[in-house]
Amino acid sequence: MKVRLPLFLVLICGIIGALPFLIPHGIVQSFDNEFRNSVLRIIGAFSLVLGLGSIIRHHMDKIKRKREHWEYSYILLITLLFTAIIGLFGGVEGTGRLPTHIGNFHFDIQTIYMYMAIPLAATMFAMLAFFMASAAYRAFRARNFEATLLLIAAFIMMLGSVPLSSYIFPKLPGFAEWILTVPNTAAKRGMGFGIALGTLATSLKIILGIERGWLGGTK
Amino acid sequence: MKFWERLAKLDRRYIYFMLLLVVVVPLIFPFKLRPKPMPPVEKLFNYIDTIPEDKCLVISVDYTPDTEPELHPMAIALLRHAFARHKKVGVLCISLLGLGLAQDALSTVSNEFNSIAKTYADSIIYGRDYVFWGWQTPPLVPILGMGENIAQVFPVDYYGNKTDTLPIMKKIKNYNDVAILVSIAGSAVPFWYITYAQTSFGVRIGAGSTAVQAADFYPYLNSGQVTGMMSGMKGAAEYEEMVESRLNVEGRRKATDAMSSQTAAHIWIMITIILGNIGYFALRRRKK
Repeated sequence: MKVRLPLFLVLICGIIGALPFLIPHGIVQSFDNEFRNSVLRIIGAFSLVLGLGSIIRHHMDKIKRKREHWEYSYILLITLLFTAIIGLFGGVEGTGRLPTHIGNFHFDIQTIYMYMAIPLAATMFAMLAFFMASAAYRAFRARNFEATLLLIAAFIMMLGSVPLSSYIFPKLPGFAEWILTVPNTAAKRGMGFGIALGTLATSLKIILGIERGWLGGTK
Repeated sequence: MKFWERLAKLDRRYIYFMLLLVVVVPLIFPFKLRPKPMPPVEKLFNYIDTIPEDKCLVISVDYTPDTEPELHPMAIALLRHAFARHKKVGVLCISLLGLGLAQDALSTVSNEFNSIAKTYADSIIYGRDYVFWGWQTPPLVPILGMGENIAQVFPVDYYGNKTDTLPIMKKIKNYNDVAILVSIAGSAVPFWYITYAQTSFGVRIGAGSTAVQAADFYPYLNSGQVTGMMSGMKGAAEYEEMVESRLNVEGRRKATDAMSSQTAAHIWIMITIILGNIGYFALRRRKK
């Protein structure tokens, strides 16, 4: 039963998901509409609750067992609680029932988002520039013909993606655009066909219960 | 010998420090670089410019704070363009983290226009000129559902108003009333719109993507499945340039301001690659 029920559900859901794209009949379409607008939304809402529950349980457990960096779990849980309360009762820009400012000091959800979430996420992402610069210096060596080609293409793209290039070499941005439009598109299309066929084959194997790796376990 | 070795194995801290300098200094003392719009950006601009009266522009804010510097200027430039031409705008988010950014873009641009508006007709009014539908999950629900009934997918807007009571919604029922949907994302969301919304309902799709992801969109651009696109900060700067030069809409051009910094960073990375290769070849010759 543990194996058969999930396999049966996947088979049914797979067929329900694929049929509306193949059969334009009104009954199939209205069933699909109902399935998407009601069932999928409920599943989506459940997954949110499940995600929230999982993260709280995981960090509570971490604190309880005093695992590595358990102190940070307190920060996560407190932040989660406060932002949830402010978001739920404070309105978008402090227009809700909960007062979200003390004098000129605002702490509504939009302010928290703009001045905490954005700088933190942008800082993490900005680190990439340093790693990329270092990696480019180490990896881009003209060791052979292919590597030299790659190096030349990278130079053209790097120069072509800044406005300075049109001042120095007026035709370079156009050439960079040509690389993207012609050789890049050819390669991407080839890869796209391969990926699409692979996805189709794998999906069919999962729907028909041939591929069972996603169930976990060894049986 | 030692010099060539050093050149081939530069300490990463020097690379990091120089990169920090070339990024920060041009941000403080920028040098003006006016970008020349490329065909994909021009196509998007021209299509939005000719949206008929009875159709609207939909912007799907699908990026998250990590890609904000690259993608947020695109949303702002698109809104400036639409509001300057008095096009109806609908905004939604597929990514939950995009909500705050969409709210910021809408309030920034509507305030810009309202601060110089002389009459009520000139003003940009919520519910009349634009609507912010908010977020709905899972992604397939809004992407496909908007083809049937937008108000059914978003019964209330981001601010809690009943969507079907807003005047703008009398003219926007489903994708038939949408001239183009522009999905701005650092992820695969624009592909979902192409796969589901366009193939099922034929709605036109525009894209705004990070520079690193732009290459993935070119097959769709060539086939006409993507009407036009902005790629990376340069794409955003090109759109800002077109909005300012063709429509005389002025405002802070964040992407254009950052172009000097990006140019300097690219040049520094190219210099490090050249230095590394000089060191590599010199060492190889000596070994022979």
